[in-house]
Amino acid sequence: MQIQIHISSCVSARIFVFTLAILGASFFASGVAQAASLADGLKNYKSFVVEHIGVALSGAKELQQAVKAKNAKAAQTAWIKSRKGWEAVEPITGEFFSELDEAIDAWPDSKKGYHAIEAALFAGKLGGIFAPVDELVANLAKFSNELGKPDFQFEPQGLMNGLTKLAYEVGENKSKGGESPYAGTSLIDMQENVEGIEALYQMVFEDPLKEKDAKLAGEIHEKIEAVEKLVKVKSLKALNQPALHKGGEELAVLLQSAALKLDLNKPAVGEK
Amino acid sequence: MHRLRTPICKAAAAAAAFLAVFAAVSLSAEPIATKEGVLPAGTELNEDQLDQPTELFWSELAGGKRSYLLNLGDMLFSSPTILGGAARQAGISCGTCHQQGGGNTKLFVPGMSSRAGNFDTTGPFFNPKADNGVLDPVRPPSLRGAKYLAPYGHNGRFASLRDFVRNVIVNEFAGGEPSPQVLDALVDYIQEIAFLPNAKLTAGGRLSKEASAAAKRGEILFNKPFPRNAAMSCASCHVPSGAFVDHQIHDVGTGGWQKTPTLLNANLNAPYFHDARYDSYEQVVDYFDKHFDLRLSAKDRSDLVAYLNAIGEADKPTTRNTVQAELEELESFSSVFDVAIPARNSEIAVLAADALGIEWRDLGEKFPGRTDTTVSGGVKERLRARNTIRGVVLTLRRIAMAAADGDFGRAAEAYAAYQKEAAAAADVLKQAEPYSLFNPKIWEAHFKAVKQLADIAKEKSRSK
Repeated sequence: MQIQIHISSCVSARIFVFTLAILGASFFASGVAQAASLADGLKNYKSFVVEHIGVALSGAKELQQAVKAKNAKAAQTAWIKSRKGWEAVEPITGEFFSELDEAIDAWPDSKKGYHAIEAALFAGKLGGIFAPVDELVANLAKFSNELGKPDFQFEPQGLMNGLTKLAYEVGENKSKGGESPYAGTSLIDMQENVEGIEALYQMVFEDPLKEKDAKLAGEIHEKIEAVEKLVKVKSLKALNQPALHKGGEELAVLLQSAALKLDLNKPAVGEK
Repeated sequence: MHRLRTPICKAAAAAAAFLAVFAAVSLSAEPIATKEGVLPAGTELNEDQLDQPTELFWSELAGGKRSYLLNLGDMLFSSPTILGGAARQAGISCGTCHQQGGGNTKLFVPGMSSRAGNFDTTGPFFNPKADNGVLDPVRPPSLRGAKYLAPYGHNGRFASLRDFVRNVIVNEFAGGEPSPQVLDALVDYIQEIAFLPNAKLTAGGRLSKEASAAAKRGEILFNKPFPRNAAMSCASCHVPSGAFVDHQIHDVGTGGWQKTPTLLNANLNAPYFHDARYDSYEQVVDYFDKHFDLRLSAKDRSDLVAYLNAIGEADKPTTRNTVQAELEELESFSSVFDVAIPARNSEIAVLAADALGIEWRDLGEKFPGRTDTTVSGGVKERLRARNTIRGVVLTLRRIAMAAADGDFGRAAEAYAAYQKEAAAAADVLKQAEPYSLFNPKIWEAHFKAVKQLADIAKEKSRSK
């Protein structure tokens, strides 16, 4: 049978339509048909990641140019663009590229990574960020290269770990300003995180889970939508933090159950 | 918030080694630096301190143990879930203002505070309905000895502690109507908070041999009738044999009638007066000297200050936070499930799971992740600690989900899993402790870096 997976409009404000050829009933059971299905899901998700890391890298390059041109406003816009690309793929950054994640998303660190640049850039200071911006571009380029290697593959357990970890983290208390407090874009970070969660779940795990436990698959789908609704607010101040905290944890709990249904190990929720 | 108690201080020897390093550390965890958060930029909650006010309970002092109600109340006191509005959103709890049952001498909320150490409980921020239209911040008082300090509120407007607590939750912090069992627990906890022992004071409120000669001269002055009103002395309101209070309100020229505050452990409670207007005993004595025309000499004033310092002391005012102390507190809190789950008490089981989850999450943040480049060592230990804690948090969420569904069989299973995971976590966390924010060197490096970023961010106005 052929199943079309529609990634809802929130994913980069577009509809991704992927076709998965699922010829058997079981996703992770042995057999050529299931392996093809898994391969398609993973391939599609890899495309999603490549696209978003591409956005992160191109944004960083625009940031580099704007900083050289001493154009603070353009540099800030480029930083936000780059950051959005990065946040959408957070399910996999720490899990599959831990060393690059450490350099790119260091906190608190005034010397390197997005946040070192953010603190100075959004205070209108461009003078001291040439080196960290160059380093960010280099690290994102390296990330993109690693990702683009033909032999690089995402494996389901790592993806489930990253997915569950990000569901947990999205509920962390943002009342003090969140992940990007100086840019004031923590809410965008969270929205991109949730889009990343939705994309990964729907592209890779949802349909196979439906085969195993349709009720659980539906519950996860609904929970992601509920979390998505919570982060779609106008400002961080308007965010219902306790509800998000609860929703993120409940989603992570459901994903833990899903992993077992899919014959995966209980996902590790921490960093690798 | 994480509480520490003197009887638990098993890690004192290890802490002593840390103290030598920490003595040079004057850095504090940073105030909120962003305009994007719930709380105004510049808010100082004075959280994340390594040395925290010591908390003692009367039952423990009497050689007993903590009761179910005490554990529940203690846990709820540090949980934002019983409050509403901005407080709940911001993760503020009763314990934010009354740290470990004491006060919070550094608390500052722009627009709601006139100085560090006070806060307007009838301002518009936390509950617009409670706004009286006047910036009239008050000092969050220490709750030590609260059961002996009725009436309640700075102006003594509540005879009942229970009514006072309800008012704080519902009116001042926009929370929902607390259930009787929640109020029972909170009142029990507050009534259990004991004064900290002070070797300079005897049981009758007199100075002991430990006190200095100056303090003893001050004691005489404290009890001496005022020159212009022989019926009055300092001691006539601050009755030494009665916790240094008279349970009355008085107008002493500071703006309306105010309750006589206790002087026990008061060294830990500066700034002084209901609105936190004075930083020191010297200023307090000067004020009363003038207000009551006491005609004190400089030596008299100095002796009175020595006396106040002696009676206001605590043998062990602060306690170093450690993994062990945190785990013991969490164990006390989680024992609430032993009663709530068999009793099929959904309200308490869910509240407990929420509150404990937040406590464990906070504990997890003390183990810096890989992206925290201020820490170079122990990455394996830190990541294992974070991973373990997150697993525990999700098991607590399972308890909450099951209890909310009324499925107490499932809740009991999840609680059994929680107990195993929490027990197993102890070794993991202790192995990671040297590389965590429990280590003063790492604490300092981490918050120094946070401050550095904040400083960079505020050097120029934002160009957004």
